[in-house]
Amino acid sequence: MRHFHASAVERRKYFKGTMSSHPMEAGWAGEAIFFLIIEELKGKDARLNACVEISADGINWIKEGSVFPAIDQPGHYFCKVSHFGNWLRVHGEITGQDAEIKASVHLHLKA
Amino acid sequence: MEHVIALDAGMNKYQPLKKIICYDDFDKGLNGWMDLHPNYVGKDFNTLRYSHVDKTQWGPLMLSSASFRLAGTHGSMDGTYSLKLSTRQAANPYTEAPAPGSLSHGIKRLTTHLPKGLRQYEMWYAYTPEQDRQGLSEQAMRAFGIFFDIQDDEYRYFIGARYLNAVNGEMVRRWQIFKAKEVTDVEWAYGVENDWCKMGIDAMWYGKRYADGSTDGFEFIPDGYQDLCYNESDDKINWSYLRLLIDTEKREYVELQSGSKIFDLRGMKPTLTAPYARIKGLFNPSMWVENDTDRRVFFYADSVVISGE
Repeated sequence: MRHFHASAVERRKYFKGTMSSHPMEAGWAGEAIFFLIIEELKGKDARLNACVEISADGINWIKEGSVFPAIDQPGHYFCKVSHFGNWLRVHGEITGQDAEIKASVHLHLKA
Repeated sequence: MEHVIALDAGMNKYQPLKKIICYDDFDKGLNGWMDLHPNYVGKDFNTLRYSHVDKTQWGPLMLSSASFRLAGTHGSMDGTYSLKLSTRQAANPYTEAPAPGSLSHGIKRLTTHLPKGLRQYEMWYAYTPEQDRQGLSEQAMRAFGIFFDIQDDEYRYFIGARYLNAVNGEMVRRWQIFKAKEVTDVEWAYGVENDWCKMGIDAMWYGKRYADGSTDGFEFIPDGYQDLCYNESDDKINWSYLRLLIDTEKREYVELQSGSKIFDLRGMKPTLTAPYARIKGLFNPSMWVENDTDRRVFFYADSVVISGE
């Protein structure tokens, strides 16, 4: 049977400017889906551009190439990753005047 | 009928009581260990009551290969994976309530099935701060601990031990046990009226803290000083043994073993609290780690054995 783990990496947290999710070790998994759950988007023309990042050490990060669709309203969003090493996170830029988001990041891993 | 029990070779490094309730080797997955989060039973799945301690942000658990920036992969004691608890990059001064995310907490939710008596918690573990800056950072680790959260017919009680490693950047290196001082529920919850938590429960983050490392929730073990093996670099971890023996019949401590050192705790009592609704028979082994400054600290469990007589 394949191993599976759903992690609530970030839980209902407010972000301004940039957001980076907690570095997660996922070396045991062959595939991953990051979910972004946006409960609130505040400010004028608030928008989130987010992508998946990988890392050699969990400290220094590089864009993996997978990106979320541009997010300008609350909802559930996802991004798949299938070839990575040990470390995974989501990194996002929040734009718009006085923009702020309330977001959760969930990571689903499967061996 | 005669039963022959063949134990996994990984059990050789343990000394369980007769009944093994669980042997959790994290090479086989998370084995039911999970993050701790508050009760989302209020409007829009929010918490019902305000608490001064934000329990929504404790750092997430994960299966770790213990890989570091210069060392590469440590693996675990038996195999590749351990259970990792990791805090976030936030901390308050010691004498304040813990900052959101300054702890990470793992819990396995069980209920009891054996007659009251001896219960034992054993674990091989390691710890280190994130190597995100130069130098040696042993003092970034404030504390870690293990305990059982138990509710029998009459009481709920937390019974366990905490290693207080450092306070505000100064090394302390002393063991403590869960035992609350005679304070009110409101004092216990940092002045909040009608907090979900009652005095004696959740001492990991409730109970006033004092500059010498004592708190309203813990008591220092006599002669409880111990130098643990931290190693000489933040990317070198050593697996260490920890064992807590309790008596659920007498509701008291029996023994704490850390490495080769055994602390006799016979006769010491945890704090007994009135039972909570709907959790009769609760028997939750738990572990947690807390940072002392604004950086992540990591706690690794190779494996855990819970046993009973």
